[in-house]
Amino acid sequence: MTTKFERDFVVLVLGIETSCDETAAAIVDDQRRIWVDRVLSQTEDHKPFGGVVPEIAARSHLDHIDRLIAEALAQTGLKLDDLDAIAATCGPGLIGGVMVGATMGKAIALAAKKPFVAVNHLEGHALTPRLTHDIDFPYLLLLASGGHAQILAVLGVGQYRRLGTTIDDAMGEAFDKVAKMAGLGHPGGPQVERAAQTGDPARFALPRPLKGRPGCDFSFSGLKNAVRLVVESLPRPLSPQDQADLCASFQQAVTDSVAERTTNAIVQFKQHWPVGTHLVVAGGVAANAKLRDTLSLLSHRHGLSFLAPPLSLCTDNGAMIAWAGIERFRLGLTDGLDFAPRPRWPLDPDATQIRP
Amino acid sequence: MKAFPKRILALDAATSACSAALWREGRIVACRFQVMTRGQSEALLPMVAQVLAEAEEDKPDLIAVTVGPGAFTGIRIGLAAARGLGLAWSVPVMGIATTHALAASLTPIARQGRRIVVSLDSKREDRWVQVFDQNLIPLTPPHSLMPDEILALATDQDIVLDDDNLHTDAAIVAQLAADAWLAETGLPPQPLYLRPADVTLPTRS
Repeated sequence: MTTKFERDFVVLVLGIETSCDETAAAIVDDQRRIWVDRVLSQTEDHKPFGGVVPEIAARSHLDHIDRLIAEALAQTGLKLDDLDAIAATCGPGLIGGVMVGATMGKAIALAAKKPFVAVNHLEGHALTPRLTHDIDFPYLLLLASGGHAQILAVLGVGQYRRLGTTIDDAMGEAFDKVAKMAGLGHPGGPQVERAAQTGDPARFALPRPLKGRPGCDFSFSGLKNAVRLVVESLPRPLSPQDQADLCASFQQAVTDSVAERTTNAIVQFKQHWPVGTHLVVAGGVAANAKLRDTLSLLSHRHGLSFLAPPLSLCTDNGAMIAWAGIERFRLGLTDGLDFAPRPRWPLDPDATQIRP
Repeated sequence: MKAFPKRILALDAATSACSAALWREGRIVACRFQVMTRGQSEALLPMVAQVLAEAEEDKPDLIAVTVGPGAFTGIRIGLAAARGLGLAWSVPVMGIATTHALAASLTPIARQGRRIVVSLDSKREDRWVQVFDQNLIPLTPPHSLMPDEILALATDQDIVLDDDNLHTDAAIVAQLAADAWLAETGLPPQPLYLRPADVTLPTRS
C-alpha cells in the first residue's frame, strides 16, 4: 500500500552516502524537491587522530545508516513502495564504508523490489548544480574536497572531460595538513578559514604552485612544504597572531593558484564548449568563502555565471546521491545487485592515460 | 513472543566464504555457498535473490546473520545486508556467532561427551576462541587468547576446531537460528569485533 499524497513528480529516489566520514540518507524527487536529507557527521569520532580513520568510519556507518534511513522514511511519511529506485554511493572512497552503504542499498532494493543505482560519489557532487539550480549541460566544474582537486567539463550524465587534476595532494588535504602544522584541529578547512579572518595574507611569502605554467593541473605539496618551513622558523607554540597570519597567507596562496589554474580551464572550456554558461564549484572546500568570492569574480570577468550550491549540499550528503540516482534512473542506467564497489572510480577514465 | 518462524533466511560473509540459505519448517529448501576471501559485497545479495526465487518465497519471517568474530569487512557486509533486508521487509534480524556456527558443523554424535573449543584466525598473534559443551551451550563468550593459552585450556578430551580452512555456512546458521529462537538465545544484530579499530591514517589517492 502506498502513502496518500499528491504525486506531482515522476521519479522518487532514496540516496545513501557512506564513502568518507559522513553517514547520510536522503529522499529526492525529479521536481528537484528534497523530501528529507539526514547527515550524521563522524567528525568527533576522528578528531583525536587528526584525520579520518577508515576502520572507525566503517564501524560508525554500520551503526547508524539503517536508523537514518528508517528515520528519513518516518519523517516524510513515505513508504519504500513509494520510491522508484534505491541509489547508493559505490565509490570512490574509503572502501570499508562504501561497502556498508552499497550493501544496505542493494538489500533494500532487493527486498522492496526496486531498481538499484550504483552512484559515483564524484558524480553526486558534479550533478548537484542541476538539483539546486536546474542548469543545462555543458558546464565547467571545480571539484575541491578532502580527497579531490579536479576541474571537469560536465557534458552529460556519465560524460566528463577532465581538464585538470592535482598532481599531488587534494585541496582539502592541504588545508588539513596546514591546520595541523599551525596547531589547529581537524577538519582543517573551517579552522584555517576562521584563523585567517584576523590574519595578514601578505605577511609570509608563499609560492603560487604552477603559476604561469600551461594547463589546469593543481599542486599543493610544494606550498605545504613552504608552510612547514615558515612554521619551523617561528617560535612554538605559534602565537594566535602567527597562526592567523600563516593561515591567511596560505589561504591567499591557494586561492591565487586555484584562480590562475581555473582561468586556464575557463579559456579551454569556452573554446571547446562555447554553449556552456556556468562555472560551478562543489565539494567541501567550496565552503571556503574566500575561494568562492574569488572564483565568482573570475567567472564574471570571463563571461560565465558562477554557481555554488548551498554549503550543506557542497559537503558530503545523501541528497546529491539521490539526485544522481534520479538522473541515471531516468536514462535507464540501473545496476545489478552484483555491482562491485570501487575504491577508485575516475569520472573521466580516459584522462589518466593522457596525463603527462 | 512472536509466533515461531516458518521461514528463516540466513546469511554469512563473516569468514572466508559467502553463503545464503532459506530454511522452511525444519529443513533447508535452498542454499548457495562459495568460498571467497573477498568479493562478498558482490556475491551475497545475488545469492539471497537466488535462494528466495528457488524456494518461491517473497520474504522470510526471520533473518539470521553471522556477526563475528571474523573478518571486519565481511561481518559488516553480512550485517548491512541483513539489516537492510530486515528494514525493508519489517522482519526481525538475529545475530549468530561464527564460533557457534562452526561448532554446530560437528554432528551430535561427534560432539557427544566432549567440549568443543573453536579457535579462529584473528590476523594477529592472538586467536578468537569460544568453548561449547556437547549440546552447543556456550561455556565462555567469544574472546581473544594467545596460542599458549589455548593449549593450556584444551584437554585431550576436547574437540579443537582450529583449522583455518573451515568455513561458516548459512545453512547451519539458519538451523541454529531456529533453535536460538526457541531458547531465546539469539544475539543482537551487532558486530562482534572483539578488537578496537586499528588507528592508522588513511592513504588518499
